[in-house]
Amino acid sequence: MTAIANGRTAARSSGRAATGRRIARRRPQVGAHVFLLVLVVYFLMPLWWVIVASTKDAHGLFAGSAGTLWFDKNFHLIQNLQLLFTYDQGIYLRWLGNSAMYALAGGLGATILAVLAGYGFAKYDFQGRSFSFALLLGSVMVPLTALVIPTFMMLSQVHLTDTVWAVILPSLLNPFGVYLMRVYIADAVPDELLDAARVDGAGEARTFFRVAFPLMRPAVVTVLLLSIVGTWNNYFLPLAVLSSSKLFPITVGLGLWEGLASSNSGTGTVSLWTVIVTGSLVAVIPLIIAFLALQRYWQGGLAIGSLK
Amino acid sequence: MRTPKIAAIAATSAVLIALAACSGPSVGGSGGDGTAKADTSTKSNPVDTSTCTNKIQDAKAPVVTMWSWSPTAQVAVDAFNAAHHDVQICWTNAGAGADEYNKFSTAIAAGKGAPDVVMLETEVLTSFEIKNALVDLAPYDTKGELEKAFGAGTLKDISQGGDVYAVPDDGGPVALMYRKDIFDQYGLTVPKTWDEYAADAQKLKDAGGPLIGDWPADTPAFTQAMFNQKGAKTFDYRLADKTKLGLDVDNAPSVQVLQYWQDLVDKKLVSTAGQSTTDFTSALVGGQLATMIAPSWEPGHLVSAGIKPGADSPWRVAPLPQWKAGDDVQVNWGGSTYAVTSQAVSKKLAAEVAIGIFAHETPTTIGAHFPLHLEAQKASWFQGANDPFFGNQASNKEVWIPAASGYKGAVYSPFQPYYEAQLIQALGKVIPGDQTPKQALGALQKDISSYAQKQGFQVK
Amino acid sequence: MAAPTLRRRRSGTGRRRAIGWLFVAPFGVVFLVFLVGPLVYAFYLSLYSQGLATGTVFVGLGNYVQAFTDAKFLNGVLFVLVFSVVLIPIQMLVSLAAALVLDVVTTRLARFSRLMIFVPYAVPAVIGALMWGFLYSPSFGPIGDFARLFHTSAPSILDSNLLFGGLLNVVTWQWAGYYMIIIYAALQGIDPSLYEAAHIDGANAWQIALRIKIPMVGSALVLILVFALIGTLQFFSEPKMLTPMSNGHITPSFTPNIYAFNLAFSYSQFNYASAISFALGIVIFIAVYVFLFVSRRRGRIL
Repeated sequence: MTAIANGRTAARSSGRAATGRRIARRRPQVGAHVFLLVLVVYFLMPLWWVIVASTKDAHGLFAGSAGTLWFDKNFHLIQNLQLLFTYDQGIYLRWLGNSAMYALAGGLGATILAVLAGYGFAKYDFQGRSFSFALLLGSVMVPLTALVIPTFMMLSQVHLTDTVWAVILPSLLNPFGVYLMRVYIADAVPDELLDAARVDGAGEARTFFRVAFPLMRPAVVTVLLLSIVGTWNNYFLPLAVLSSSKLFPITVGLGLWEGLASSNSGTGTVSLWTVIVTGSLVAVIPLIIAFLALQRYWQGGLAIGSLK
Repeated sequence: MRTPKIAAIAATSAVLIALAACSGPSVGGSGGDGTAKADTSTKSNPVDTSTCTNKIQDAKAPVVTMWSWSPTAQVAVDAFNAAHHDVQICWTNAGAGADEYNKFSTAIAAGKGAPDVVMLETEVLTSFEIKNALVDLAPYDTKGELEKAFGAGTLKDISQGGDVYAVPDDGGPVALMYRKDIFDQYGLTVPKTWDEYAADAQKLKDAGGPLIGDWPADTPAFTQAMFNQKGAKTFDYRLADKTKLGLDVDNAPSVQVLQYWQDLVDKKLVSTAGQSTTDFTSALVGGQLATMIAPSWEPGHLVSAGIKPGADSPWRVAPLPQWKAGDDVQVNWGGSTYAVTSQAVSKKLAAEVAIGIFAHETPTTIGAHFPLHLEAQKASWFQGANDPFFGNQASNKEVWIPAASGYKGAVYSPFQPYYEAQLIQALGKVIPGDQTPKQALGALQKDISSYAQKQGFQVK
Repeated sequence: MAAPTLRRRRSGTGRRRAIGWLFVAPFGVVFLVFLVGPLVYAFYLSLYSQGLATGTVFVGLGNYVQAFTDAKFLNGVLFVLVFSVVLIPIQMLVSLAAALVLDVVTTRLARFSRLMIFVPYAVPAVIGALMWGFLYSPSFGPIGDFARLFHTSAPSILDSNLLFGGLLNVVTWQWAGYYMIIIYAALQGIDPSLYEAAHIDGANAWQIALRIKIPMVGSALVLILVFALIGTLQFFSEPKMLTPMSNGHITPSFTPNIYAFNLAFSYSQFNYASAISFALGIVIFIAVYVFLFVSRRRGRIL
């Protein structure tokens, strides 16, 4: 049917609003709203719990007065935050800084490499291109966590374990990012534009920066966000290659505290559980704020991966 | 910048990066290929002292790095640093128990990243000795202090033949912690034998009281200690005869101990909560458990969970129940030692730290420790101490010191982390009733035996 | 300066080809060093074996024979396979349902919901697992509260047969929003005139969803399913974080990745750990190809 065949290439925005209005004119859709409400409660509940739990002291956590989903009579948030930032010489702030550094360095680096490689694959016809690209696609299916242990072994041979490079360098690998960029660039950057630039005498580098790059921006932002989030959330790799706690990202740091708190040995006068809970709260705030602030970008960008 | 939002986020990121970059990424502590160096100055021992949890008190002295999760590490390290000008300790907490052992094993395998001095529980000493990760301290003990400083059982745990691989700090003599108020309320007598313990358990249940105690699946050091108390000889191993291993996991005493506790579980007289879970701690704090078979370092853990010591504390402690009335078989659960690692930059200085750090305990440095140094045990301030956690009971004299002196040592496997992980799994099958004790230990015997053979041991 | 020419230059001169390589080269270096390199090194390591009481010995494929007859590894594989088969349909259902509803409803609540459902993706898996671990705890979490309301004792989810369901929930919570956004974005790309045509034919909202929308986002669905499968077979972070709270139910060989991790970093058996990692990779390759074959969309993905 022509309608379906044209469906994908038709303008996306036309008629959307019209359909929405038409449907909205019908029944008030209580069922749909209830469903959405249930989902929102489900997805937000753990975050609500973390917020409430961060305001309690150790006694309140273990035997609070108003149950676990509501505040205790002692509001301890400020003290918990103070404890969190001063515990163990302020190592928590160090961990946060490390996470940011790994995420930005690794994410930025991976994005740069992916953009360059995607452009190369999309716009240049060189020998071995299809073989390399097939290799790339195959590698997307390689479980990256299965690489962690041999990467550790390799890094230890060159004495790079327990350094920041042990985390940053492997994070530069993002085959899926290359794939995304290649797909997007093939569609969004017309060859004619590039040829015109070359005819005007622009070198390849200038063609890339001045002509092609501005057209790639949504995909670049998407890949950047995905890389940053991926590195920020990474646990297995830093857990394996780092042993000095001063180099830990926040994921491994909180894991360390959880191990300490669970172990049946005295931790002095501080109950680590309050610090862990408060630490979890502070750790999720940056990314959530970033997501809320940048929603325009990723909401559009994720479309790229799904459309072919 | 196109939008203010991007600028804001860039600014925040810059701040966060600055935080991390402030002290710069630097290679950790005492890296090296294990070759011994003579007494080093800070020139050839580039330890980044900003990473220490404690403060270095004499910046000119060479630095020895140490990993320890002991709650009294801070106090002990500060006292040591104040008193010494030939060496300073740089201490960090690299994790507790298995977490730290993983890091240490990995650093040994990678050839770098291990500290100079490391805290190890006695049960894993053999496992690290076989990897050549620990240094024999006998040559550095020029005054022969070590032999005089510890009891016979302790000495057996830390030595292999004439070699001494670690210096004990605190021990874990095991006793019966109980709630005096609950015992009084339900008219129970403090049990002296395990039969009496079971009888008390039934009495509590019949009267509608709380459970008598807890039998966890996730605390293998405790389980093994219980096996040892009935005379189990699970392992027979000597480092001098490296490849021969005696293995008897499904020995009769172990099966009997498991059966005893399984009866209590089946009759619902004990809780089965894991002791690593918050549920166990809150049950203990909340009075849902009348007793705990506890090591001497347990009170320190409970105080941080919110139990308040003092004259009106409801907890008391009594000697560990015995299998036969009149027996005095004592065991050890945990406790710590300090060993010098093969990656130590200066073995002499590291040995000095390991030997000296807990050698002279004072009432301030002791914390909730049970010191294995006989000097501290014999001190009058230690013998006469009243423990506020136990309502000012003279617990050292009455319970802990006799328990420690009755301890005769134990033999551990050269792959204790592996064994303990499998023991947890075996318990996880017995406690819910999926397997009988005999079946589970039989399966465990097969597993350990085949593992040991694959590792190159001759198993008898 | 070259004179303008009418010749098509797309097939590229030698210089152009070299430039192409230049663009790809930086990524290529990282690819070789951190993907091909570790794979080759892992394979090399896996051909040897090192015992505690013996030295390092060449064993050829012996480690692989051991891996595929190792009950611990096989049980781990079985677990992640079963887990994937149960989890992925549930995740897809939740994400698909949410995306379809959000495609139709455009109120403020809908826009707010879209954001909130996606938020868990911004939470590191490790922290998400920690939070749910607390929520599951009879003493720390609301389940205990409810149980006390009804005068029963709370089940300990992580310490029982409910562990499977508990983990299902954690992973669904973490990822459903991410998949939902992808499906939603795909739905936005459908030409609305199709809906008008369907309305004229008398179709209601359900039929539109089933007959038009779902088929049209088919390729996005398959893509997500493949990545979900690959990710779930590598299950590591959540069970590792929840191990202390599970009273031994999360075993050292619970998933193949956890087994490999413990082999390497707890028992220092790096050779066997490499073999296990490779064996897991083989399992994943097979699973993905089987899946793609079954869904018969091989051609469309590539």
